Amino acid sequence: MSEGSSGQPAIAEDQERELQALLALSQRSRARLERLHEVLTSPGHFGAGATPSAVVYRENKLRLLRLLDEQGRPRAGPPVLFVPAPVSRYFIVDLLPGRSFAGYVAEAGFDVFIADFGTPTREDRFCDLEYYVEGLVRRCVRTVTTLTGRPAINIVGYCLGGTLSLLYSALHPDTVARLVLLTTTVDGDVEGGIAWVAHKMGLAGESYEQPRLVPAVEVKSWFEMLSPGSNSLAGRVRDLWERLDEPAERLRDVRTMASWVDDVVPAPGRLLAEMYQKFGPGRNGLLAGTATVGNQPIDASRITMPVMSVSAEKDTIAPPEGVDAIRRIVPHAEVVRLPGGHVGIVAGRAAAALWKRTVDFLAGGSGAGGGA
Amino acid sequence: MADEKKQPEPTLVERWLDEQQQWQKTLLTYLDSLAKNEDFLTHLGNAMRGSLLAGKAYPRPDAAAAPDTAADDRLDRILHALHQIEGQLTDLKFTVEELKASVRKRKDKKKRKDEE
Repeated sequence: MSEGSSGQPAIAEDQERELQALLALSQRSRARLERLHEVLTSPGHFGAGATPSAVVYRENKLRLLRLLDEQGRPRAGPPVLFVPAPVSRYFIVDLLPGRSFAGYVAEAGFDVFIADFGTPTREDRFCDLEYYVEGLVRRCVRTVTTLTGRPAINIVGYCLGGTLSLLYSALHPDTVARLVLLTTTVDGDVEGGIAWVAHKMGLAGESYEQPRLVPAVEVKSWFEMLSPGSNSLAGRVRDLWERLDEPAERLRDVRTMASWVDDVVPAPGRLLAEMYQKFGPGRNGLLAGTATVGNQPIDASRITMPVMSVSAEKDTIAPPEGVDAIRRIVPHAEVVRLPGGHVGIVAGRAAAALWKRTVDFLAGGSGAGGGA
Repeated sequence: MADEKKQPEPTLVERWLDEQQQWQKTLLTYLDSLAKNEDFLTHLGNAMRGSLLAGKAYPRPDAAAAPDTAADDRLDRILHALHQIEGQLTDLKFTVEELKASVRKRKDKKKRKDEE
């Protein structure tokens, strides 16, 4: 045994190596915990939307938001109505300053409105497709046309919100100038997605006659079912722990996205039952031409306005082949496939590609003065 | 500079002791945040679930999914019907406004024609 520089006895070489490794592990773990603390104590996102807005219409749990400029005024360009999925929170299209799809469209000069369907409560379990399409969406459009004085407006529908927008556009084509559908399934027989997995598992789905309010945690489990492992507590904690090596700024982005992914809302059972029975595997009402809203048949040939449909390459919720099938019912639709997943293409780090494409489409190639 | 060069490298034991102190500081920062910020526990709880859900507690499976009694069920149906009526009344209001606007437009058009 020799003596160290401070006079303490030196440790045998192999023990020293082990201690060095343990020290490095301890330092890395502590750095991760310090970064976690930094992220958790910085302001988070509370689902209030990033862009200043005013509520211009309310009905039941729905709020129709109109985005405002820096002076608190609505913009003067053509109106655009965002219709997010009613089973998730609206702020995915208005996530953070600089990371807001709706904010980007507004910055391009459009007068942007967002339908926030809110959080359904127990009595809303009876809400069906007609309530959403002919009720909430239609009255949002009527509010927008009244406020802007424009007879036809642009609509951007996301996921199930895209389905509602597509059905609405078939029923009221004269009020829609341009239609953008984002990750909106048209072919329910394509392998993948929640409805297809449920069908393969032989599940009957929700009851139309005796609907329940499907708890948020159950809705969440359906999404997690599509990416096995993501719902395992150990898996998620491990994933977070590994991520804590990343810079705090990047982690704040992750946190914002997680705050949306985890913040699901309960779903009206009757709406889910009707959509599963009409558009799900084996029925496929949109392609089969048997779809109805209330007593009204859906005639896709009435969708004559310009349409752009966007699918995501790695989408496990709305598989891209099922989305691109829009070609079969709306042959003039511009079909776009972008790299990324269901949420990433709208609000991820590469979402700017979609935002720019959408603005170009809405502008009809002639700037914000085009479109409606 | 010369003094700095003379500073001996800390031994492994010294570095371990320093690391222990750093750990104490880190843990104290967590305790401090727990004491000062009541939301911090929610944030920490979410992180422990592998989620970073901001500002609210992680979804729980205890949401009321079905009514407890037949009376609750009837009440829910009535509330839903009221929401539908609320929507229909709004539609009616829109239709009246649209009719008014179209009458106004027609009158203006006729007036302009008469003036010509």
